[in-house]
Order: sequence, then structure tokens, then C-alpha cells
Amino acid sequence: MLFDNIDFASLELPSHARELRREVRGFLDDERKRGSYRAHLGHGEFDAEFSRKIGARGWIGVTWPKKYGGHERSYLERFVITEELLAAAAPVSAHWVADRQSGPSFLRWGTEAQRLKYLPRIAKGECYFAIGMSEPNSGSDLASVRTRAERVTGGWKLTGQKVWSSWAHEASAMFVLCRTSPLGENRHEGLSQLIVDLPAPGVTIRPINFLNNQHHFNEVFFDGAFVPDEQVLGEIGQGWRQVTSELALERSGPERYMNTLPLLFAVIDRLKGSTDRMAQVTVGTLLARLASVRTMSLAIATEFSKTTAPDLATEAALVKDIGTHFEREVTEAAKALFDVTPVCDSEDEFERLLAEATIFSPISTIRGGTTQILRGIVAKRLQGAA
Amino acid sequence: MNDSALLQDAVSRVFMDFYDNDRLNAARREGWCAELWLALEQMGMTLISVPESAGGPGGSVVEAAEVLRLAGKYCASVPLAETALLAGWALAGVGMAIPSGPLAFGMADPSNPFRLQRDGGAWRLTGTLENVPWARHASALVVMATIDGEAKVVSAPRAAYHVEASANLAGEARDRVVFEQAVLDGTHIVGATASISAESALQRGAFARAVQMGGALDRILEMTLAYTRDRSQFGRPIIKFQAVQQELARLAGEAAIAKASGMAAAASVMAEDRAELSVAFAKIKTGEAAQAGASIAHQLHGAIGVTDEYLLHHSTLRLWAWRSEYGSEAYWAKRVGAYALARDAAAVWDDITCR
Repeated sequence: MLFDNIDFASLELPSHARELRREVRGFLDDERKRGSYRAHLGHGEFDAEFSRKIGARGWIGVTWPKKYGGHERSYLERFVITEELLAAAAPVSAHWVADRQSGPSFLRWGTEAQRLKYLPRIAKGECYFAIGMSEPNSGSDLASVRTRAERVTGGWKLTGQKVWSSWAHEASAMFVLCRTSPLGENRHEGLSQLIVDLPAPGVTIRPINFLNNQHHFNEVFFDGAFVPDEQVLGEIGQGWRQVTSELALERSGPERYMNTLPLLFAVIDRLKGSTDRMAQVTVGTLLARLASVRTMSLAIATEFSKTTAPDLATEAALVKDIGTHFEREVTEAAKALFDVTPVCDSEDEFERLLAEATIFSPISTIRGGTTQILRGIVAKRLQGAA
Repeated sequence: MNDSALLQDAVSRVFMDFYDNDRLNAARREGWCAELWLALEQMGMTLISVPESAGGPGGSVVEAAEVLRLAGKYCASVPLAETALLAGWALAGVGMAIPSGPLAFGMADPSNPFRLQRDGGAWRLTGTLENVPWARHASALVVMATIDGEAKVVSAPRAAYHVEASANLAGEARDRVVFEQAVLDGTHIVGATASISAESALQRGAFARAVQMGGALDRILEMTLAYTRDRSQFGRPIIKFQAVQQELARLAGEAAIAKASGMAAAASVMAEDRAELSVAFAKIKTGEAAQAGASIAHQLHGAIGVTDEYLLHHSTLRLWAWRSEYGSEAYWAKRVGAYALARDAAAVWDDITCR
């Protein structure tokens, strides 16, 4: 029914991926020793300098063609890099969306000019993207977006509002999902994606502070902003197909179960040498859950590294559902094992990680598809199964 | 279809021939299904993964795991895991002859050691084993025991031991075995080796139950899906209710993660590469999935699911029983935890990501 033709018994990272892991781990160890960043959960801080270092090492745009600044390596190598960056709680927020979503979208739907304009800079860690999908009245029901683009000479006039656009205030550009023809019978038709360079006239970015009063979310207003024709991504009217096509990799990646892993590592190191039964059983159980969801994620990445990747969007939804709940189980286990008070700005890393895991805990099961939407996707597939 | 799919298809047919309530209830009364065993023998399936040089049909541990998944899926009450993956493996590994017929496998409890006395040219063996799968129906029993400080593999014919019948929650024979001054000759007792050890036997048993649980979860997902389509309440099939759909999705997740971790363990056992961790992960995760999955399946079935006339309980009783066989989740989690806390997080991460 799900994962039907997936061979979980043949998952093996190729030796070059393992060498790459050593390389990435060595780099991150050095960076940490030099104090170049502080571990933060939830993809860490927006750190352009760090992203440039990652880019310089060839760890952004890993799978992309060399002529666009990519490195023509496999999805499994990308998988390994992602794992190590997240395990080290490195500050990867700046380039994360561009590397994971925007770049692949350019490769699949973009024009040659768009690819040449953006991809080499993304791969260098110099060009950052924000996501313009959700709106005040369009969350899980993305097809209901009301932001609209009207045809004008040489381009489109964009009017509307996007919300939850992380780091839009620092981003170089954003993809905006908008309506280019009125809502008809098929609500998935008439949607398009425009590429809006930032900042731009007619575009206003305002902070929406997160519950800890920090600023990474934004609301973005488009007040008749002009977007030239060459900044249309793919085909006018095909926006829905375009935004849903990349979901399989996006939802099944390590970032869907590794956000609190640095906390689990801190738990293990803090318990080092303990023979307490509860500690052992708890840690053992969490590691089994981690390894199992990783096996599923790795299986999907392995399928993508083959020439003809099957449609695994439903499987990916399942991985995200299981993975994001695992993240929360880590936080609760840490609280059950230690009588520690979470403190956001603590000098003590454990207290800080525990605080971040706690306050970020609602996000993972919402962004990129809520638990309920994901389970609905899985159920739909099950209903269709014989 | 490739070879593996053809094999699975053929084996499925055999299992399905014995998958009905009358036969499953009879197997529960008798502690196994003799006719199914004969059918598997005729297929040449009972020693799968035992090399041809030792009298087996060959095949890999991963292929054996695929067959065991199907055995679990169709509630096959036969000593397939014990005969092929345990007794057959151990005897082949130490160079002993493999007796014909169904084989049982036991591991002596170190706190209740076996005793071996010389008696002329023969030996006399005394000792007790608890919860030995299928012992009463086996033609022979293979025991791994440390006797006088030496790890031994004992191959005992059925006549050498007494059995006190007992059963697991699903009615599968899990018997008490008593050796009382049993006379065995030197060909029945051989020293264990580095690879044929009590520890690797335990890992193989745990991995076998993990893949069987994966198969059983696949089956309860199928049954629950079919039931929620057929069953109407409030004027429509209950699968149309979102509350039901959300639970079905969770059940599918439990079945999928059980399959993933079980088959990943199969690969490790086959390669003899970090099998301990991989098997532990599989037994823990499939055990959790068994509990969560069985709960959902029963909840969505409502009262019909807990009746004897409906098939669901044959699967869920096995899931509950197999969770605790060859080490429960708690047993394996404690071991993994002890391993992790004796190292540091970086070393643990390294071991998890080695594949």
C-alpha cells in the first residue's frame, strides 16, 4: 500500500558519501571549536557568512548541474550533508529554502536565464529565498490564495498579502503563489508562481514576531508591484502542479525528524556512564525511533538518486508525520530524565536547547503540511488502494 | 515479476490456504498447524537461508525475512523462524547434521545452567528451558547452552526431552522442556563458535519476530481498511469520517515503519554488520508499532474485532505475544541505552549513520 516497492534491505550509502560525511563533520567540528556559531534548534540563525562557507565547500546545490554552479553529486550525498548540518545545529537558515526548494524548482520549471541568474549565487551561499505561499485566509487550504497578478504590458501587477514568510526581510527573492485567472470550477487551475526580487518597489515586509518575541516570520504586502514576464516561474496557470511537485523530497528529508536531535545528543552526553534503567530504556527507545524513521527517509532519498524516481509524495507525508512527532518525544524525554528548567538565553547549552525545543515544538507539525493534512493525504491513498 | 516477487507470491498462496477461522482456531487448540508445515516442506521452504552444502535450499537471510513477513501476515503457526533461521543456521554453522522435520530452538537461562555428565562413551544432559517455541511438535530441539563454562550447541532428538505444554497469548506452542539425565552421544553436542553464539541466536530470533510483526501489521491494516469501507454508520461508510481516516493513516504509518526497520535489520543480519544495533532498533520499533497498530485496528473495528468469530484477533494476539518474545522493547532498549551511555553522542551518531 505504502512503500510497496521500496527495498529497505539494500540501503547502503556509497563510500564517497561516507567520505563526504567525514569531511562535513570535520569542518563543523572545527567551526564549533573556533566558536564561529552557537548551537540553536530549528535550523539555527540567519548567518550569511556561514552559508557562504558552506557554499564555498560545495555543499549547496549539491545535485545541480555544474553549469549552474552545482556539483552534480547524488541525492544521497545531499542527504549526508543535511544530516551533519542538522546534527551539529549549524546556522543554515539563510540558504535552507533556496537550496531545498527554490533551486530544484528553477531546475524543473525555470528558464535558462532564470537558472543562470539565480542558481550559481544560491550555490555560493549568497542568494537566499523566502516562501510566499500562506496568506491570512489560506493556510492548509493553499489553493484558496487570493493574492492576484493582473496582466500589464511586459509583465504582471501583483496585489495581495503573504504571511509566515521566514527571513523574507533578509532574503534576496521570494516565490509568490498567486492567482492569475479568477477562481473557477477547478480551484487548482489559474494559479501561478512569480519570482519577486527583494527588496522591491510596491513590496512591504513587516515582522510577525514569534511567540518568544523574536523576528523570523514576516507578512509581505504587494501593492501593485510590477513583476516582469521573465520572472514568471514555469507556466502561467500551472502554479499548483509546480508547488506540489517537489513535496516528496521536501517532506521526507532529515529536517523533518532532526530538529531536536542536538538535544538528544546533549541528553546522551549528560547521562554518560549512567547505569540508571530508566535512562537506558528511554535513550534506547528514542534511538530506535530515530533509526527507524531515518531508514524511511533514506529509502526515499535512495529512490530519488535513481534515474526514474517514483511518486513518493504520500510516503513522504508519512515520514514527516512520524518524524515531527519523534522530535517532540525527544523534548519530553529530556524533561522526564532531568529536572532542568528551560532557559532561552542560558549560557548552559542544555538549558538553552531544552528551551528552544520547547518553544519551537508547535512549529514542526504545522509548517510544510500539518499533521492532519498529512494524515489526510495518506488516508486518501489508502482509500484508493484495492 | 522478479524471483523474489515470484517466491513471495507462491508462498503467500500456501499461507492463504490455511488462513481461515476454522484452521486458525484449530492451530490455537493444537499449538501449531501440522498441515501447513507439510505444505511448506513440500515447497522446500522450511530451511530457507540454510546453505545447500548443509542440506538447505540456500537463499539469503533477506529472502527468509520476506517469507517470514508473509508467515506473520497470515498467522502461520509453524516453526519456520526456529527451523530455518535458528536451528538450521546453528547446526549448519557448527557442522552438525540437520534432522528432518520441524525443529525447535532453545537458549538455556544462565541462571539455571544445564549439567552434562559423562556416562561411559555417552553423555547425560540435565536442565530445563522455559517457553520453548514449538517444542512439543518438533522432531528435534537445538539448544544453545553454556555447560561447565563452555558454549555448546546441543542437537537433541524429540525422545531426549519431556515437554510440558504451554502457549503464548495466540495459542502458539511455547513449552517447558525438561532434560532429565538425557542420554546423548558426542555427535549431539558440539562447541559453539564465534558466529554461532547465544547472542547471535537471540538477535536472529528477535529479528524474526520483528519481521513477523511487520507482516501482521500489514494484515491488520488491510483488514481495517476493508472493514471501514464496508461498515456504515450514520448513513455512510465509516471510512468517510475524517476521524477514522486520521487513525487509518496512523495505522499505515505503524505498518510502514515496522517494515522499514525489520527489513533494515534483515540486511544487517545477512551482512553480519552491526546486527546488534539494527536488530535492537527493529525489535523496539516493531514492538511499539505492534501495540499502537493493534490498538488502532481494534478501535476502528469496534466490538466485532474482539469476537472469536472475526479474524482480527488472530493477528493482534500474535502481535502482543511476539512483542515479548526474544526480548521485549524494554529489554532491547535497555541494551541500546547501555551501549549509548557507555559512549558519547558523536560515537552513537556515527554508528547510526554508518549505512
